[in-house]
Amino acid sequence: MNKMNKFKRFHIPSALMLMVIIFWGCERDNFQKLDERNWQITWSDEFNGQAGQLPDASKWTFDLGTGQDGWGNSELQSYTNSTANISLDDEGNLVITAINQGNRFTSARIKTQGLFAQKYGRFEARIKTPYGPGLWPAFWMLGENIETVPWPGCGEIDIMELRGQEPHIIHGTIHGPGYSGGNPITGSYALVNDRFDADFHIYAIEWDKDKIDFFVDDYLYQRIERGDVPGEWVYDQPFFILLNVAVGGNYVGFPTAQTPFPQKMYIDYVRVFREAE
Amino acid sequence: MKTNMLIRLKKYIPIVFLAALFMGCERDLTDLQPVTFPDNPEVFIDGFTAGLNYAAFGGSVPTAFDVDKKETYNNSEASMRFDVPNAGDPRGAYAGGVFFTGTGRNLTGYNALTFWAKASQSAVIDVVGFGNDLGASEYQVTISGMQVSTNWQKYIIPLPNSSVLTAERGMFYYSTGPVDGKGYSFWVDELKFENLGTIAHPQFIILNGQDQVETSFVGVEKMITGLTSVFNLPTGVNQTLNIAPAYFEFTSSNPSIATVDAAGKVLVTGGPGQSVITAKVGDAEVNGSLTIQSQGVFQLAPVPTRPVENVISVFSNAYPNVPVNYYNGYWEPYQTTLSADFEVDGDQVLNYTNFNFVGIEFSSPAIDASAMTHLHADIFIPAALTGNAQMRFELVDLVATVSGTFTTTITPGQSQQWVSLDIPLSNFAGLSAKNNLGQLIFVDVSENIAGFYADNIYFFNDGTQPSSPATAAPVPTHPAANVTSVFSDTYPSVPGTDLNPDWGQATVVTTVQIQGNNTLKLAGLNYQGIQFGASQDVSSMGFLHLDFWTANSTALSIFLISPGPVETPYTLTVPTSGWSSIDIPLSSFAPVSLTDVIQLKFDGNGDIYLDNVYFRKN
Repeated sequence: MNKMNKFKRFHIPSALMLMVIIFWGCERDNFQKLDERNWQITWSDEFNGQAGQLPDASKWTFDLGTGQDGWGNSELQSYTNSTANISLDDEGNLVITAINQGNRFTSARIKTQGLFAQKYGRFEARIKTPYGPGLWPAFWMLGENIETVPWPGCGEIDIMELRGQEPHIIHGTIHGPGYSGGNPITGSYALVNDRFDADFHIYAIEWDKDKIDFFVDDYLYQRIERGDVPGEWVYDQPFFILLNVAVGGNYVGFPTAQTPFPQKMYIDYVRVFREAE
Repeated sequence: MKTNMLIRLKKYIPIVFLAALFMGCERDLTDLQPVTFPDNPEVFIDGFTAGLNYAAFGGSVPTAFDVDKKETYNNSEASMRFDVPNAGDPRGAYAGGVFFTGTGRNLTGYNALTFWAKASQSAVIDVVGFGNDLGASEYQVTISGMQVSTNWQKYIIPLPNSSVLTAERGMFYYSTGPVDGKGYSFWVDELKFENLGTIAHPQFIILNGQDQVETSFVGVEKMITGLTSVFNLPTGVNQTLNIAPAYFEFTSSNPSIATVDAAGKVLVTGGPGQSVITAKVGDAEVNGSLTIQSQGVFQLAPVPTRPVENVISVFSNAYPNVPVNYYNGYWEPYQTTLSADFEVDGDQVLNYTNFNFVGIEFSSPAIDASAMTHLHADIFIPAALTGNAQMRFELVDLVATVSGTFTTTITPGQSQQWVSLDIPLSNFAGLSAKNNLGQLIFVDVSENIAGFYADNIYFFNDGTQPSSPATAAPVPTHPAANVTSVFSDTYPSVPGTDLNPDWGQATVVTTVQIQGNNTLKLAGLNYQGIQFGASQDVSSMGFLHLDFWTANSTALSIFLISPGPVETPYTLTVPTSGWSSIDIPLSSFAPVSLTDVIQLKFDGNGDIYLDNVYFRKN
């Protein structure tokens, strides 16, 4: 409920802002007026390859199976590295497919852990989300020190999450010590008369030592500053990237008999930038 | 407030247009546009919008719909209330009707009809929809089974392809009956067309999404059915719509083999050859297709030539058919067989597909086939067989609760052509009665018959085997003094003899006259007793005489019985060729006590005619 209130609070100003932009389009409000940056690319995967290929093993590894207690969230799916669940599509996308196999679900989750991590910068992906009650796609990051400092101490930055029963709302969230699980720092962005599964959108964060800014299609909808977190600010170390489609779980609820399957998340690219010196 | 604002604004829009027109330069012909219809999105907001009418369906309660000023969505002025009647309401059995406009509306700018609804109790509305104009309803869209609750909820009926809706008159329709016999009310408010970006992923489907392949022939017609569309609603849930054929543009890949019209009617026009029937909705692909594999001109089954008086027909265009309950019982749960019957040039053909077994029932009334000698069926297996096929025919007598089976082999060389079968009923193993035949079952024993056509299924009497004697049994010549008679017109019978004692038998016993001679008929024999009026001492007699006649019995024996019972059978040769007369030495029945015989018994099957049953001296 808290999250919903937050969303509503946000939503009305955004509508007003649109009006403002429409009627006085020349002036931009101060919130959107960001410092000029000189981003230089440090890592990317454009997912160009032949249909049926697994993602580049030099960039991604798999999380497999059901984890502990459904990856800590009572999620229903079992992650595989089968090309039925994850493969390139020959059109420049990586496709993660959640499949309903009767009474069990399979899907895929990949990460750059041990292969790539970065502190600060711009992390961006162009994604078309899946949809339907109980579907939970995510583009997110975890602190590289998770092996030695367990979650939530390592920190988690959710650049994009979506509940399939609300295909027009995405959420940007951070979890850290003292503000995790059901009580994180989170913000939402809703499309008016549109939905995120209808087309590709660009989801990004811009992260420096003072703050994390959350963007949809280069629209800044949330800024979380060092002083905003009720616990420790754990975002001064490298984070690695994850992409997955979960089915069911505490965050999203369970799929219903009416949830359409299979469901696909299309990822056109993931790009990481660092600010030039 | 928003609505009012819109209305106020709209007042000015025409003025602006008018101003533009009058202040424009002189018109020339190229400026003329085709007539366009109003694009008013509102159907019922707080009352009927301009030009809206209501008509109730025939048989429904005419007053089921009313404008309600009390129960409204968001405290608006008014809503639409629908009172569903109780079962048995003399005014009508259900609530249903159409909201339509006199002149059409241009709905091309919208993609959904939306409304808010609630009900006095949780209920399922049978159908709600759009595009019913009380006429051809060319662009009808229907949602079946819309769940309503006691809270106001928003509902969306997506428009499958609004680009065709340039002059639509059917705004909204509904039809629903009582829940568990009880009526209730539901309300609809804020009924209007919208252009929603929150509905997505449209799918269009024919033939329920299947890629069907059918063997067919010139002249065969078939409707493309299973026309649906699926949209994903803002809640992420799919909504299925039944939609009219006019939304689809059907195409035949080879019109010289098969054509398809705008209504989705396929006509096979040529062959041999193949045509794939597909469809599009606007530019969108459609799931499902029909591949017609035309064999060319249909090879009709041979026309039956048996005289109609010798035939009892179940399925044929050559004879009047008996009442048939069904030609496919869809027996759950194991039957897979479907029916795709067709008609070519007035000849109907049964077409069983996905065959494992299938039953035809003709039980009301059942067929008395006691006068019939054969079952005829024409069978056509359209797929080329790679090995021999075994098809079993099963006939069921519903009263005697017996069934008989006959299995025939169809060779690969006999596939793709008609095979005419005349199966003697006596070849149906186990069919001990045929007076009340109620079912014919086909079984794919070899499990390699994908499907078959059937035609001319009938019972007949081939005349070579009359089912009853044409002549009376020979008249006995033994002197009456030497005879103790059980059944004969020639001699007095033992007084009090019961020709049909109830021993629990299935046999039907009647006395029939043949050439004026009383003859005892045992129909559908399993066993049958004869109880003498009193114990008989036949120790001075030498023989038991018997005249018997049967065309269809394959087993028959007679027993002589003395108390104990002590009984001994004597086997009779069947079937007979005309009347068989036999004198059985009584010594054959040892150890039956010849001083104290009380009963006779017959055991076996088939229909038996008996006469001149008596004991005689040497």
